[in-house]
Amino acid sequence: MKKFLDGYCQLLRLLLTVMMAVLLIPVAMQILSRYTGLIPRYIWTEEIARFCFIWIIMLGAMIAVREGTHFDVDVLPHFSPRIEALVRIFTAIAMLFVALTFVWYGYIFTKFGAIQRSEISGLPMWTIFIAWPLAGLSWLAFLGEKLMTDIKILRGETAL
Amino acid sequence: MNPGDVAAILFGVFAVLVILRVPVSFALALACVPVFFLNDRLTPIMLLNEMFKSYNAFVLLAVPFFLLAANLMNSAGITQRLVDLSRAMVGHLPGGLGHINVVVSMLFAGISGSSTADAAGIGSLLIPQMKKQGFDIRFSVAITACSSVMGVIIPPSILMVVWGGLMSVSIGGLFLAGVVPGLLIALFLLGTVYAYAKVYNYPVYVRASLREFGRALFHAFWALMTPAIIVGGIVGGFFTPTEASVVAVVYSLCLGLFIYRSLKPSQLPKVFYESARLAAISLFCIGTASAFGWILAYFQIPRALVDEIATWGLGPVGFGFLTAAAFLLIGMFIDAIPAIIILGTVLWPVAESVGMHSIHFAIIGIISLAFGLVTPPYGLCLLIACAVGEIKVIQALRDVVIILLPMLAVLLIIILLPDLILALPRWVMPKFVQ
Repeated sequence: MKKFLDGYCQLLRLLLTVMMAVLLIPVAMQILSRYTGLIPRYIWTEEIARFCFIWIIMLGAMIAVREGTHFDVDVLPHFSPRIEALVRIFTAIAMLFVALTFVWYGYIFTKFGAIQRSEISGLPMWTIFIAWPLAGLSWLAFLGEKLMTDIKILRGETAL
Repeated sequence: MNPGDVAAILFGVFAVLVILRVPVSFALALACVPVFFLNDRLTPIMLLNEMFKSYNAFVLLAVPFFLLAANLMNSAGITQRLVDLSRAMVGHLPGGLGHINVVVSMLFAGISGSSTADAAGIGSLLIPQMKKQGFDIRFSVAITACSSVMGVIIPPSILMVVWGGLMSVSIGGLFLAGVVPGLLIALFLLGTVYAYAKVYNYPVYVRASLREFGRALFHAFWALMTPAIIVGGIVGGFFTPTEASVVAVVYSLCLGLFIYRSLKPSQLPKVFYESARLAAISLFCIGTASAFGWILAYFQIPRALVDEIATWGLGPVGFGFLTAAAFLLIGMFIDAIPAIIILGTVLWPVAESVGMHSIHFAIIGIISLAFGLVTPPYGLCLLIACAVGEIKVIQALRDVVIILLPMLAVLLIIILLPDLILALPRWVMPKFVQ
């Protein structure tokens, strides 16, 4: 299971890197076409850039749950490893609620998207909206993995 | 549900979750969920839709690009060139490396729009050197963190792009208005370093000859052109802020790959990935913060606040202090961008009603939030600098407070003298800034 999630996370990282590089192209084209006339003035460049951008945000948000790099605030004093595990379990459960909301309502959101097309390039909107339920599902998997580890610590099954 | 109840649910749930270390972006989303369920006319799909709407803004694309440009500059060793130039400029002053740290942050701020890239890039170059020369490590970390806040005050600035995009304020105008406060902070920081160096007898470098200075200037010349291209391009109306950020990326790529040849193509994927990831984390928070802000607006909480504050009879100066205090406080706990979305949009109608200039209001907010980057518990630049210096945050705290005091004086000056910051945008862009 860990291997599978490692591989999946690696795939997400790769996609994120590629998307970031791809994002440069439409905006660069926009400037080139305005100042040089080498390429025609496409009007879809801005929209494509915005859609890549949304995917970058959602991919990054998925990876950050696995890596535990979403920003949190460190005001609570630090306790013994077991209590710490308990706090982490609470955090993971709270995040699970967000993940479930994203999966369920994201599914409805994507169904809305199935009958819409984007204003300029005519792209079906579900190709963007699906990022939300996908993020929810990825979080469920990543958070489940974290919960298992912390429950083992809480039960004293893992050597600390 | 009346506005009071909704505000209590939103802020109550958010506060409890954040204290229990739930990530800020998730806590914002979770705080919205009960309200969406409790009210018949709302559904949680609106949470997703508000997130989508907030991400679907072309101007926000500037955030990952400015971050990428800064990281490319770091990887291409351009930061080192700026250090050499700063050394030739101020290395001979008492506490040489401390002054170099401040000046290089100022120069870097003119190239990048992000304070975190500033703290990471400059910290990893200068903190080890300062340690070797016998500077107190706590002071080294504190001065690196505090000087890096100029990154978002001196143009270009990611925070100004977000602020301008969100509240329809001229981004060019904001950039120009950030110049004077940025230089003032640099000046006050140099004064602080001087005082430290006198008290602790910190080492100095030999004064650089004019020729050495010329050489350093020549080496850093192309890097120093960046602010002229970006700020000039936006203020002159050649590019939109997003396009300018892409120009910055392409420019730094060209410098690194072709002119200085210090950047290997094999390094690129890592730089791209790191920039995208960091940008995504802070941008994700924009989405949930926007949903949070949308609920506040739906229940007309900002309007209730306007009515409430109107009864206090505050003038622009009084409200300026209130703005600074509110942003300083919220900046201690959450990231600057969601803070702008939640607090900036709530306070904005009040600022208008007391007759405060939109740029003045924005600059007070941005400087206060920039200070939040070095104040715990959530001070990203301080965390980065401490990680580089391998010390605990609590150890650096005393020096951070000492260094922050003169910076707060700058904030005070800016609240009291709006014309000081408005003069430059009024002079350069008379058509856009009254």
